Amino acid sequence: AAENQFQSQQTQAPGQPHPYFTQPLEQPTYLEPYDQQQQQRSNYVQPGVDALAGQFGQMGMGGQKQFQLYTTNLLTSPPDPHELFKPPPEIRLPPNACISPSPYANAEPSYQRCTINAIPTTSSLLNKAKIPLALVLTPYRSLKDGDDAVPVVTDTVIARCRRCRTYINPYVQFIDGGNRWRCCMCNMSNEVPQLFDWDQATNQPGDRWQRAELNHSIVEFVAPTEYMVRPPQPAVYVFLIDVSHSAVQSGMVATATRTILENLGRIPDEDGRTKVALICYDTSLYFFSISAESSMLVVSDIEDVFLPKPTDLLVNLAECRAPLESLLGRINDMFRENSIIGSAMGPALQAGYKLMSAIGGKLVVLSSSLPSVGAGALKNREDPKILGTAKESGLLQAASPFYKTFAIDCSRAQVSVDMFLFSQVYQDVASLSHLPHYTSGQTYYYPAFNAARPEDALKFAREFGDVLAMPIMLEAVMRVRASRGLRMSSFHGNFFVRSTDLLAMPAVPQDQSYAIEIQIEETITTPFVVFQTAVLHTTCYGERRIRVVTLALPTTTNLSEVFASADQIAIATLLANKAVERSLTHKLEDARDFVHQKLVDILVAYKSSMTSGGAGASAQLAISDNLKMLPVLVLGLLKNVGLRQSGQIPPDIRAYAQAMLTSLPSQLLIPYIYPVFYSLHDMPPEAGTVGESGVIMPPPLPLSSERLQRYGLFLIEDGQTIFLWVGRDAVPQLIMDVFDLPSYDVLRGGKITLPVLENPFSQRVNAVIQKTREMRRGVYYPHLYVVKEDGEPALRLWALSALIHDRADMLPSYQMFLTSLKEKVNST
Amino acid sequence: MLNFEDVEERDGVRFSWNVWPSSRIEATRTVVPIAALYTPLKIREDLPPVLYEPVACKPPCRAVLNPYCQIDIRGKLWICPFCLSRNAFPPHYKDISSTNLPAELLPKYTTIEYTLARPAQVPPVFLFVVDTCLDEDDLKALRDALVISLSLLPPYALVGLITFGTMTLVHELGYNECSKSYVFRGGKEYQPKQIQDMLGLSSQNRAAPRPGQPLPPQSFGASRFLLPVSQVEFQLTGILETLTRDPWPVANDKRALRCTGVALSVAVGLLETTYPSTGARIMLFAGGPATEGPGMVVSNELKEPIRSHHDIDRDSAKHYKRAIKFYEALGKRASNNGHVVDLFAGCLDQVGLQEMKSLPGSTNGVIVLSDSFATSIFKQSFLRLFNKDDQGHLQMGFNATFDVQTTKELRVSGLIGHAISAGKKSACVGETEIGIGQTSAWKINAITPRTSTGVYFEVVTPAGQPLQQGSRGLIQFITHYQHASGQQRLRVSTMARNFAEAGSPSVAASFDQEAAAVLMARIAVFKAEVDDSPDVLRWLDRMLIRLCQKFADYRKEDSTSFRLTDNFSIYPQFMFHLRRSQFLQVFNNSPDETAFYRHVLNEEDVNNSLIMIQPTLMSYTFDAQPQPVLLDSVSIKHDVILLLDTFFHILIFHGEQVAQWRKQGYQEQEGYENFKELLELPVVDAQELLVDRFPIPRYIVCDQGGSQARFLLSKLNPSTTHMSTTMYGTSTGGAGQAIFTDDVSLQVFMEHLKRLAVGAQTN
Ligand SMILES: [Zn+2]
Ligand SMILES: [Zn+2]
Repeated sequence: AAENQFQSQQTQAPGQPHPYFTQPLEQPTYLEPYDQQQQQRSNYVQPGVDALAGQFGQMGMGGQKQFQLYTTNLLTSPPDPHELFKPPPEIRLPPNACISPSPYANAEPSYQRCTINAIPTTSSLLNKAKIPLALVLTPYRSLKDGDDAVPVVTDTVIARCRRCRTYINPYVQFIDGGNRWRCCMCNMSNEVPQLFDWDQATNQPGDRWQRAELNHSIVEFVAPTEYMVRPPQPAVYVFLIDVSHSAVQSGMVATATRTILENLGRIPDEDGRTKVALICYDTSLYFFSISAESSMLVVSDIEDVFLPKPTDLLVNLAECRAPLESLLGRINDMFRENSIIGSAMGPALQAGYKLMSAIGGKLVVLSSSLPSVGAGALKNREDPKILGTAKESGLLQAASPFYKTFAIDCSRAQVSVDMFLFSQVYQDVASLSHLPHYTSGQTYYYPAFNAARPEDALKFAREFGDVLAMPIMLEAVMRVRASRGLRMSSFHGNFFVRSTDLLAMPAVPQDQSYAIEIQIEETITTPFVVFQTAVLHTTCYGERRIRVVTLALPTTTNLSEVFASADQIAIATLLANKAVERSLTHKLEDARDFVHQKLVDILVAYKSSMTSGGAGASAQLAISDNLKMLPVLVLGLLKNVGLRQSGQIPPDIRAYAQAMLTSLPSQLLIPYIYPVFYSLHDMPPEAGTVGESGVIMPPPLPLSSERLQRYGLFLIEDGQTIFLWVGRDAVPQLIMDVFDLPSYDVLRGGKITLPVLENPFSQRVNAVIQKTREMRRGVYYPHLYVVKEDGEPALRLWALSALIHDRADMLPSYQMFLTSLKEKVNST
Repeated sequence: MLNFEDVEERDGVRFSWNVWPSSRIEATRTVVPIAALYTPLKIREDLPPVLYEPVACKPPCRAVLNPYCQIDIRGKLWICPFCLSRNAFPPHYKDISSTNLPAELLPKYTTIEYTLARPAQVPPVFLFVVDTCLDEDDLKALRDALVISLSLLPPYALVGLITFGTMTLVHELGYNECSKSYVFRGGKEYQPKQIQDMLGLSSQNRAAPRPGQPLPPQSFGASRFLLPVSQVEFQLTGILETLTRDPWPVANDKRALRCTGVALSVAVGLLETTYPSTGARIMLFAGGPATEGPGMVVSNELKEPIRSHHDIDRDSAKHYKRAIKFYEALGKRASNNGHVVDLFAGCLDQVGLQEMKSLPGSTNGVIVLSDSFATSIFKQSFLRLFNKDDQGHLQMGFNATFDVQTTKELRVSGLIGHAISAGKKSACVGETEIGIGQTSAWKINAITPRTSTGVYFEVVTPAGQPLQQGSRGLIQFITHYQHASGQQRLRVSTMARNFAEAGSPSVAASFDQEAAAVLMARIAVFKAEVDDSPDVLRWLDRMLIRLCQKFADYRKEDSTSFRLTDNFSIYPQFMFHLRRSQFLQVFNNSPDETAFYRHVLNEEDVNNSLIMIQPTLMSYTFDAQPQPVLLDSVSIKHDVILLLDTFFHILIFHGEQVAQWRKQGYQEQEGYENFKELLELPVVDAQELLVDRFPIPRYIVCDQGGSQARFLLSKLNPSTTHMSTTMYGTSTGGAGQAIFTDDVSLQVFMEHLKRLAVGAQTN
């Protein structure tokens, strides 16, 4: 059957116009983030093949619908960007696996997804497929408009398995007349807690079946005191602001303090307990005693950092709002004339740590220079000669052990570090980003920041403001439990692995992604397995809670089902994490080889087991339809700044990209490795107007420069940067309508704020850009660059590097990439 | 023979001997060395302003032209009496004649003061170092006093503020955005270079100013911390008024952490970097002992008591030696830079003056000891420091060097006073060392009209050299200092004294027993700082006996024949009181008190020093003029009021009867005006004593039998003790009071002395 399907596609493909040209444009939903499309989950399969798939319905285990495998020849089936917006393969659980009829009973992919949606029962079966088995999770995904809030169980009745500590969930079984429940992980029979069926709000018997934990895959329990080692901590924000010469001159200090000032009211403080401190630093530390008469305390003894005062340095936000505002309004003036060069960032960190270590919280660092004195001082090790060589990966590792040991101290003290970096010159992002990495913080990088450019000030202020406003989870530990036979074997992301499988996350920001590899340790005998992620945390308004995400997946003994249920987005996300890790432990080249080899292995496995080609040479390059974007995603990953083969990428830019690759959730990661490309000058009339689900976007184009036209206006974006590509023959009317300028010649390339003009096209273009900036989760507010076709070469090359189907320098075009893959596959 | 007091009025000097033995041997036999107690800046209303440069002898002599010089008017030459060189007068002296002489050559101006042409570059600097581990009342009183002091400082004086407690804060006064201070850890010893760096005083890594934009002047350097009073008075007043207690919590079983040592080292470090070799005062206000960091006096554990004399003696004061070493090193740095350290203690207990004494000791700072900063002793003493002269200038000179020049028969043995050696190895440096020797010049960093130095000499002429007729020796004191007005001034005193042939009675007749007692007291105290006190007492006894052997009239082995001439007669009594004074008997006092008393003794002139050695006692009663009475227990009577002045204490003592009447309020009743008057008289006299005293004495009013009366009893000669039979005076009721003491009385002391002097058996 598989072969048939393949054949039919073969005949259909050549010479045909690409489907995205003929697709009716009245389908605005294709641009919606896939995780908002729950209602579409069950019917994503195209009508034609659905019927076909039905025929196999009875063949699977436990009677669930069998996965149908469709093979695609990559050589004749160019990648269609629309594919990336599709949901992952359906999870087809056996009937009665779930005790709830709720559509929310299984995990939404935006919270937790697996690289394979039908778990092989044995490791040898998994091995045959060569597909890595891993969970990709974002347990603290943000809620956008229209998202359902996570249901909260407030009665502190928490039913957990006595043996394996699994939380009760929709996949357990009630037995013994409902008095006991059988654990879905370990089969243990547990007593149902006494008050499980009692409605504490009305003080009457309640309906067990209404309980959120039995109907929702994601649920939050309010934790009783047993879950606390101490009373819930208040949220704490300690800001470390670089006030050295360059920091002040770049306008960073002014922008940062103004942003904090303007966002004081957005900092989570529902319980009125939130605390704030400010420490400025150059080669000295400037503490502020915050009161009606705030004073500055300078500590220059950076070898032996101490707190200059026991009180008033860390103050209650609500109580000290007025003095804080007054102080923030003056800091830039205080340091306006500062001519000191150098940075005692390490000592500032130590000071911040001392200030907050009894409580924990967020240490927010704003730094414009390479730390030069005291603990954690770094040397400029940027050396153009070693870029592109085997030694380059050394530049991506921390240059000083301080950044790991201090991070671990922070983790123990429940302190999380966020880094906002602004330097004009080398700042050693690689070393600095270790702190966020081990403390579940995040690195934000604004290279050559200059607030005199409104775009720079705006971007930073927007993002920083959103970080401040972000509700965070404090004092968190995360553990993933799974059914018998499965073991969490390695962990990727921003946290510290405290014991074998306990991930410590002092403050969890929203939309941070983690990847966990899974080992099949023994043969699985159950028709389905369950993965349960539990994050014990304190909310930023002082409540101890446990967020539980339960994902149930069917098991399979069938290799084709393994392929057919594989989730290319999750696989690409995992590979991004693994590649970065490998580039640090080995070399960048090894990392690229590793990812490349992984893809070859999968293709070989597919060819040998799923196609008639077997071991012999084939004219085709076959892969299951649901994995057909994987090669182009891998190519995108190989071409990403974080991994790309190049002798031109400054190590700070590289290190930052790596930080992104290992922390972005799939929704942001996929465009980051496979950007989005629109033609604007000829976009359909609805594009840029508001439809049922917001602004309608133009159809995405494949990332090939063949699509660029000399008279056209194009948009390329990867979630971090937006390029507005202007063809050199763009007609004056286009330039006038979009830029309010008479002609292409007077248009200047570079960072801009696009004017909103009194003409429909300008408004539509602006709408598309605005939607681009808003449609994804995360705080990023991409810069907009105008790129002229004959403009500044560096900018042009940067924009063009997003078009990954193209050949660039040493990097192959997509066609070349496929050809080399085919050769490899055929020769294996 | 000149009256000693007249000489003192004129030249500010009192010599132990005013006619000098002519050979080394003779000088040794006179026991008390030739020495001078000299008050360089003694106020001389009659001195003319001399606004030209002094004429000095050629180097290395540099002696200044004076009335004792031989001048050759025709040759326009003068002969230096010290080195016998001929010097030409400078051209502008060309018009001098025997009737037209410059002031410095007139006999009445043996002391003269020149105002030099080049003024000081920097106004005087005042750096307050303020303890904040005080209770609220104390802190408030201190803040108020400091605020008042700002109005007393000349507007151009530079002022700075350091506060300390658990940590040390240097306040940046030139900063306008908010109050700003640099914080130093209390428990750490900072090196001078570190202090400099941490205050941003050194050239750090800085961005070059953009073209055309000069660096803002106040962004670094000393001007951030030390600014003219006129410029920062408002801001500093604001800081002082909002100064709060050290914010660090103190447990019940702990003392406050107080890093006095770090605060002082930062103060010294700040000044030595910014204003080396110019007049500056560091004023420390300590409300308790250093309990943290270098210079720690006692740990912050309350269970550890602060060291006593016994602990120091037994070498069991565990922080003592390290603290001494630390403060001595600091004192050395401060004094080498011409800076002064004043210690103001406001504490019922000790604050570690004993450990810190080398700071004011080597810089001539003041020590003021008070129970709290809320006392008038502190407040008035502190403000009195800023007293002004007629021209409105502070009576305070800075950064002085004190040079001594002698003719060839004499050499300088040393100086005892609050100075350090300037290391001048001139020809007049002697072999014998008394006090700070091996130099003929010293640095005295603060100099006031009170400052009196003890200078000791030796005669070096070998015996047997024929003495020329009218042979005399000359001493010239040259004091160069920064006047509070900013002028550099030079005070020159030139003294001539005759030499006497061996055996001449004129030497004995020239003995100034008061000056000698004070000069010997300085030596004794100097010795007591290094030696055990019994050794010092034995030395004093030996010297006294030898002096008496040499100068008394007696028949050998007949003590009843012992007579002293008038100008020796009370010397033994001074020695008796000195022996039992707080300067040498330390065990009734705390080490801090001892340090304080000894410090003050080394500052004052002969009269004040004598009061300290042998306090004065006045008696007031009906129908008689107030009169001085014996410092003796016999002076206590029921119907008298006594006024005791020990210099440190002024005590009014009401005899039992007077006290009773006073309690009953007779003084308020009509018809008892004379009683009222009697009560008021000593009070008025006491006020008079207080007028120019520094520090302000403790003022005590007590009644016979009251506990405060012990201050009086401890000073009285115990002629009637609980042990004694009535030896003197009568034993009838009302006369005298028995004193509970094991001390010998003056009478017993004298008996022993006589016997030893005449060589009788002392059974
Ligand atoms: Zn279980
Ligand atoms: Zn001479």
